[in-house]
Amino acid sequence: MSGLTGIKKVLLSLLVVGGLTFLTYGGVFAVMSGDLTNRGSTIASGTLTFSNNVNPSLTVCISNGGPAIPGNVNSTCDALFASSTLMYPGQLATAKVTIKTTGTLDAKDLSIFMPSCTMTPTPGAPAGGGDPCGIGGAQLYIQETDVNWTATQCLWPTTAATCPLTADTLYSFAQNHPDITSVVDLGVGPAAGQSRYFIVGMELPAAAANALQGEEAVFGLTWHVTS
Amino acid sequence: VNQLKKLLLGLTPMGAAAFVAGGGTFGSIGELVDWAKHPTLKPAADSSTKGDPIWRTKKALLLMMAVGLAAYLGFSGTFASFSAETSNNGGAIASGTLTMSDQVNTGTVCFSAAGLVNVNPNCAKVLNLSNVLPGGVNATATVTLQNTGSLDAGKLFLYAPYVNSTLTAQVDPGAVPSLAIAPLEGTITAGDTIRVTAGGAFQDFSATNAVAGAATSIALTGATSTNTFPVGSTVTDISSNQTPTTTDCYDVKTPAGGPGNPNGGADLNFNPPAANPFCRAVLMWVQETGTNHHYCWVGNGVGTAVCTAPTTSALTSPLTVTPNTTSLAFAVNGNISANDHIHVVSGIHTQDFVATQNAYAGATSVPVTSVAANFAYPVNSVVTDTEAANAANIDVTNTISHFDTATRFSAELRLYPVTSDGTIDQASTIDMAHCCAASSTRTFQVGLYLPSPNGANQNALQGLQSTFGMTWHIDQQQ
Repeated sequence: MSGLTGIKKVLLSLLVVGGLTFLTYGGVFAVMSGDLTNRGSTIASGTLTFSNNVNPSLTVCISNGGPAIPGNVNSTCDALFASSTLMYPGQLATAKVTIKTTGTLDAKDLSIFMPSCTMTPTPGAPAGGGDPCGIGGAQLYIQETDVNWTATQCLWPTTAATCPLTADTLYSFAQNHPDITSVVDLGVGPAAGQSRYFIVGMELPAAAANALQGEEAVFGLTWHVTS
Repeated sequence: VNQLKKLLLGLTPMGAAAFVAGGGTFGSIGELVDWAKHPTLKPAADSSTKGDPIWRTKKALLLMMAVGLAAYLGFSGTFASFSAETSNNGGAIASGTLTMSDQVNTGTVCFSAAGLVNVNPNCAKVLNLSNVLPGGVNATATVTLQNTGSLDAGKLFLYAPYVNSTLTAQVDPGAVPSLAIAPLEGTITAGDTIRVTAGGAFQDFSATNAVAGAATSIALTGATSTNTFPVGSTVTDISSNQTPTTTDCYDVKTPAGGPGNPNGGADLNFNPPAANPFCRAVLMWVQETGTNHHYCWVGNGVGTAVCTAPTTSALTSPLTVTPNTTSLAFAVNGNISANDHIHVVSGIHTQDFVATQNAYAGATSVPVTSVAANFAYPVNSVVTDTEAANAANIDVTNTISHFDTATRFSAELRLYPVTSDGTIDQASTIDMAHCCAASSTRTFQVGLYLPSPNGANQNALQGLQSTFGMTWHIDQQQ
């Protein structure tokens, strides 16, 4: 009986040792080790934003001034032409537009498109039934200039140095460049902190039909940059 | 034996005293000295006295002196007990050292031994990139590890550290309402387990609140420390790295630009950093390099010789129409696989060349299949690795967040020795030999790339900064 007790004690001791080993595994087996941590590596993205200033006297519109969704889209910038401007056939109207990159990244590409052009009656005038956005309607050009607004390169409808007035160009622009997939490429966008200057010109043809009297073309131009 | 020697030695002066004081051959010490100087002279005393009993006594005493001196000087064998003895003196045991160093590019070497108990959490950042754009040039850094100890490192590991920091104020035993820390790397969720470690001692606490990245304090709930944790002790959130939103990598907006300066991330309203979108978009790779010892450990291409790493560069030597082009000279800033198409552009002119072998970041030329150039491409013509760029731009997997969650502490990556390009020795017992043979050093390229998926709007990634870390660990040979 006493021998059995001795064996039990031995086995019990082994059980205790086993239990301790199980419970303290991490500390039982001593090893040498070394540890090095490279903390604090960083990678930061740049920003790609730009401003749109219609005629120097008006408010600067910034791309990041729109709502958070979709983000970096501002559809509330100033109109190029006031709707109260009554145009006579053959009378040219122009708007100066400054596009400036306000982010840290260069704009790799600058483009423009016209989401819509719709005819509405001119406020307070009898409607003539014609469509200034249609064939025979208004003429449009986009002229690049230097900082002093001196013409340097026509971007629409031709690539001459100075833009001509050409028939049906508002219609053509609206029809062929309505969205981001069909833009007019204006070339490399401004580098960070730099600007490009444009004059947008519009005119009713001198021989405009009477049907265009009392009609208004409502259109937008969207400027787009990519990095 | 020593006690016997002492006893016999005690007899020596006794014999000497009796010899001198008893008269006879030498009447004094002076006479003895004189005789020693001039041994050819006769002693001063009369030789007729040698038959006296006193003389015999002196002879006995002289014998005692001789025995005493002989015993003292080590004639242990003169005693009549058998014995034998050998001695292995000077035995000693000394532990080896297992330490390592880490150097980013040519920067300051960081030693594990410089930290608390061979843990140094403050080595240099690997990369520090700003103003990155989608599809822009990737960036790589070289990290050189060396076993600086006397012992072989049986295992070398790489893993993503937990959300971590270090103590900036000592923690003493007793109540611990909060921990003062260096700017936190990562974010903490309320209730996370916060472990403070110093050498072999550690203790876990519970975070009271969520803690933002770069914070310098962690509030604790009902915490009582049973240890002393000195300044520099490691602080880790061992609940982290489980999901992409709880990783060591964390996002913040870049600072606002301020008047007259370009917009920063804080100026924008469409780039929320919550849930770490930038960490989840930026690709990361870890490429081991060495002559015929290339291996992709992390990233697209893992397990092969080449991690996918886009190259965008420029010719450093012009091409001529004749003779055929067999090599393109440019600074390789990614990795190029054999058979990749190297696209060269200058104005309206373009041509694709086919790489004939792998080329790695740092190379200055790439051999290509011999072909006539279709144009005399000048220096600075743009060079792009088409396959690598295409593969990277559609990769949504191999991100920093993926590294953090897939290679976290509990799933650390064993960096077996590379035996040839794309081959490792998984049976190895030594991952990094002891200092300072060539095999004590291993070199890695760490790279990042923000992909540019075709047609995707990535505005939400503007003006964000990701911060992350990586940990290298060695264990002794088992």
